[in-house]
Parts: sequence; C-alpha cells; structure tokens
Amino acid sequence: MKSVSVKKPQSFFGERSLPAIEVAPRLLRNQSRRDFLVFGAGALAALAGAEFLLPQDTLSRMGMHRNMDSPGKEWFLNKALRIDDDVAEAFYSVNRRVPTYTKSQVTPLKNNYNGTTPDPGYISGWKLTLGGLASGLTISLDIRHVLTRFSMHEQITRLVCVEGWSAIAWWAGLRFDDLLRAYPPMPQAKWAHVESSVNLDASGNPDPYFMSLDLATAHHPQTLLATHFHGQPLTVDHGAPLRLLVPVKLGLKNVKAITRITYVAEEPRDYWAERGYSRYDGI
Amino acid sequence: MSHSTPPDCEPNSTSTLPEQPGVLVVRKHHFLVRWSHWLNVAILLGLVLSGISIYWASPIYQHEPDPNTGNADVAADVGIWICAHVPGLHAYSSPPDWIYKHMSLGPGMLAQALRLHWVCAYSLMLNGMVYVAGLAMGGGWRSLLPRRTDLLDALRMFRYYLGFPFAKLARRQWLHPLFNTKYNALQRTAYFSVPVAGLLSVATGWAIHKPMQLHWLAALFGGYNAARVWHFWLMWIYILFVVPHVILVFADGWDTLRSMIVGWSTRVERPEVGRNEQ
Repeated sequence: MKSVSVKKPQSFFGERSLPAIEVAPRLLRNQSRRDFLVFGAGALAALAGAEFLLPQDTLSRMGMHRNMDSPGKEWFLNKALRIDDDVAEAFYSVNRRVPTYTKSQVTPLKNNYNGTTPDPGYISGWKLTLGGLASGLTISLDIRHVLTRFSMHEQITRLVCVEGWSAIAWWAGLRFDDLLRAYPPMPQAKWAHVESSVNLDASGNPDPYFMSLDLATAHHPQTLLATHFHGQPLTVDHGAPLRLLVPVKLGLKNVKAITRITYVAEEPRDYWAERGYSRYDGI
Repeated sequence: MSHSTPPDCEPNSTSTLPEQPGVLVVRKHHFLVRWSHWLNVAILLGLVLSGISIYWASPIYQHEPDPNTGNADVAADVGIWICAHVPGLHAYSSPPDWIYKHMSLGPGMLAQALRLHWVCAYSLMLNGMVYVAGLAMGGGWRSLLPRRTDLLDALRMFRYYLGFPFAKLARRQWLHPLFNTKYNALQRTAYFSVPVAGLLSVATGWAIHKPMQLHWLAALFGGYNAARVWHFWLMWIYILFVVPHVILVFADGWDTLRSMIVGWSTRVERPEVGRNEQ
C-alpha cells in the first residue's frame, strides 16, 4: 500500500520545512573544510584588525605593550571621520531650520571653557579683525560698531556638545550672513578661519583657539555672531563680547570671544581636528 | 557525519564498487547569514566598547557630586563599589575609572572612541544589509516571523530553562516543549527582536548624531536627550542576549554551532515530529 502525501497549501509567509538534501560525504567534508578555513581566517583578520585599530592605551591595558601607532592607523581612522563628515555635509541644507524653543524651555548652560576662563581684561579693548576680504583691506570693528551697524536677531536653539550633553539657550546677535554681505570675502574664499586669541589652557597659559567654518554654513540664517545671552550682554563665561552661535554644528565650532575672522580658499586649521576629532561637525 | 574514506568512483559509473551513501543534511543558514552573524560579533563588541567610552564623556545618569569622591557618575559609582568590596581591588589606582577600564576602551579617550564608533557603526549598517540579503536569498526570513502562539510558547520555553537545573539536580523528568519549526518560540522571539533592536540602535544613533538635520527622527524618540537614553538601553539588549545565546548554543550541541559555520545540519526531521528531550 503506497502512502499518499498531501501537500498542504503554503502561504508566502508560512514557515517552510527545511529542504533536506543528500550530499556525498566527500563533498560535505570539502565544503566544511572550506567554510571552517574561511571563517577561521576571518576570525584571525578580526583579531588583527582589532590590534591595528584599538587605541594604544586600551591595548596596553590588555597586556599588549608593543607600539601599534602607525601612519596607516591614523589614516584609516581619520578616513572614517572624513567619510562621516562628508555624510554630514550631504545632509546640510541652507533651507532647513533647526528647531527653536520658547523662553520657558531654556535650560542651564554651563561655562564650557576647556581650559581656564580668560581674564575679562581683554574685553574693554576688544576688536574683531576681518581679513581675506574682497576689498583687500583688513578691517577692525569694535563692539559698538557691531551692535549699531547690524540688525540684531534673537533665537532660542539647542547647543549640542560632542561629549553628548546639550542645552537650550537664548541668544541674540547679528547674522553671520549680514557680516558677509557688509564685508564680502574674496571671491575664491570657501572658508572662514575663526580665531580667539584670548583662549587659555588648563594651566592658564595662552592657548589660541581656532576652527574652520565652511562659508555655506556661515550663510545659514541661524548662524549668528552672538552678542547677548539670555537677554544680557555676553559674560566672559560665554565668550564676551562676541561669540559664534552655529546650531547646525557641534558646540566646539561655537567659538567664544572671537578676535579674528579670515576668509580663505583652502580649508584652514581646526583646533579639535588636530586633536583627533572630526572637521565638518555638522549635526 | 561519515568519516570513512569513500571509494573513488564516478557518480554514474558501471563499476561494481559500492557507492558511498550520501549524507542527509538540511540547509539551515545561507552563507550571507553566516558571514553577517560572525562579523557582528566583532562589530557589536567594537560598538559597545567604544560606546561606553563615549558615554563616559557625558554620562546620562549623574547625581550631585559626592562630597568625598567628587564623583557624579552613577556608572563610576559601580566601579567605586566594586573596588571597595572585592578583595584584591582595595588598592586599585582609580576606582571611578574601573568600569570604563574594564567594560570599554577606557576613560578620557573621546576622540578615539568616536572614530572607532563610526568605523563600527557604518560597518554594522552594511553588515545589516548583508544579513537581510542572506535571509531573503536563503528563505530563512520566514522562520523568524513572529506568530500569535509565540508569546505563550516562549514563556513555556523560559520555564523549561528555569526548571532545568533543578530537575537535573533532583534527577526528575523535565520535558522540553514540543515544536516542529526551525526555531522554538523563544528563539524566534529573540532572533526577531534583536535585529529590530539593531534597527532602533541605528535610528537612535542617527538621531543623536544628526539632531538638527534629522530633528524629526530625534522627535520620534522624544527628543535629543531621550534618544540618548534609548540608545543606551538598547545596548543592554545585545549584552543580555549574548550570554544566554552562547550558553544555549553550546548546550544544544556541536551540530548547532557548526551549522552557523558550514550552513547545514544533520538534524533532519519530518515536519510533524517534534523534538522531545529531557
């Protein structure tokens, strides 16, 4: 008596029984050996990759004291940063506004000077120096000029730090875009080199701060040269008398106590990029 | 699996030498599924280690600074407690750093941690696509779809595992629940949920990374700060999954572990018959 197997109707989503196949033992053995070799080689490659890429301090803690630092390692890891920066730049749109908030949503913003807070003595004689202009001149502006010559804009936005924390703060200042219109950069300029010469390190020694800002971001309507914080003129803690407020970028681009802006054609030096962080920092 | 040397013969020869019988196996895991599975071990490890180093820079869980230690980080508190209570660690050089030095790349290396996190994160996204391709091409995706009966069946499996050690010690019968699918309900629940969690990690990661350009994405998770909290707790799903997963794979026998390397299994069953093991 021959048994009849009835095939149950199968839905597209229904579990299928695993297809059983008959394989010659030799073939199975060869295939298995190949797979074990492939994945074994992969495991070794992963270990080698880890040894190559992990930070030296981490390797030392694991017992590996051989110096693994190499130009190749730095190149590869920085390439990852550059690719991520390129992705960030692809996301950027001059038309996209960052979320804004109400005064009741403001949160505390701590003094985030990385080193010591500068002595406020620099404020009284402060000037903003502009270079790389189309006119070929070097311009110096004092705070009175800045406050009277330009219309002030208020905005309440989130400042996001590379460390992960953030704060919602109320700022007022002139649009960077308005400064660019009043004092146009030379035509071949694509970058602004924004500097603060009064910045200090943790021991209180001079440690000039500088960063690169692409002009496309400088033109963004929410990129401000801020003069006021929470309705009051900036205090030294927050970069008096003029600081950058660029909410489409990480906090480290929001230079405090700007002393000089130079427009350049090639991407200029960036303080944190030289310390292993990314360059474009678009969020 | 047969280990004897087969006689060298053509498949359709008219030779009188007996042909070696073929081995009956089931195709269980497509090559791309196997590839992405093992690569994920390295990638997830890299993400967790670098992720916790990033967490160090601005911990989500903080309290008022302790008057004695000055420490505000809850995770560092764990390290301080460990060093104070584990013999041999009382003289540890920096107790607040203990957790970070043992569960991450280390404290105070944000730039390096971020770089590695991007290397692993982009790799994870690519690897995830490889995994989906493998599930599609091998048809394995069907075995992962959740079913209505899964909730109760998964709980039954969980109860089985809970009672197993006691039953072994008491030498009593403890019956493995019957199932006739590729995975039991608990497996299916886990193997479905973990990739979903992976997708959420990627989404919350992008929300944290691009809170302005992708502010709508951050808003889906409750905002920038909330997205960070999601991202942190999702990490624990992988950590808490891996431990029982590895234990149970080993407990299930060599065939199970091998099948994730070679892709086939010798456990060939007729679909109506379930496995009933004690």
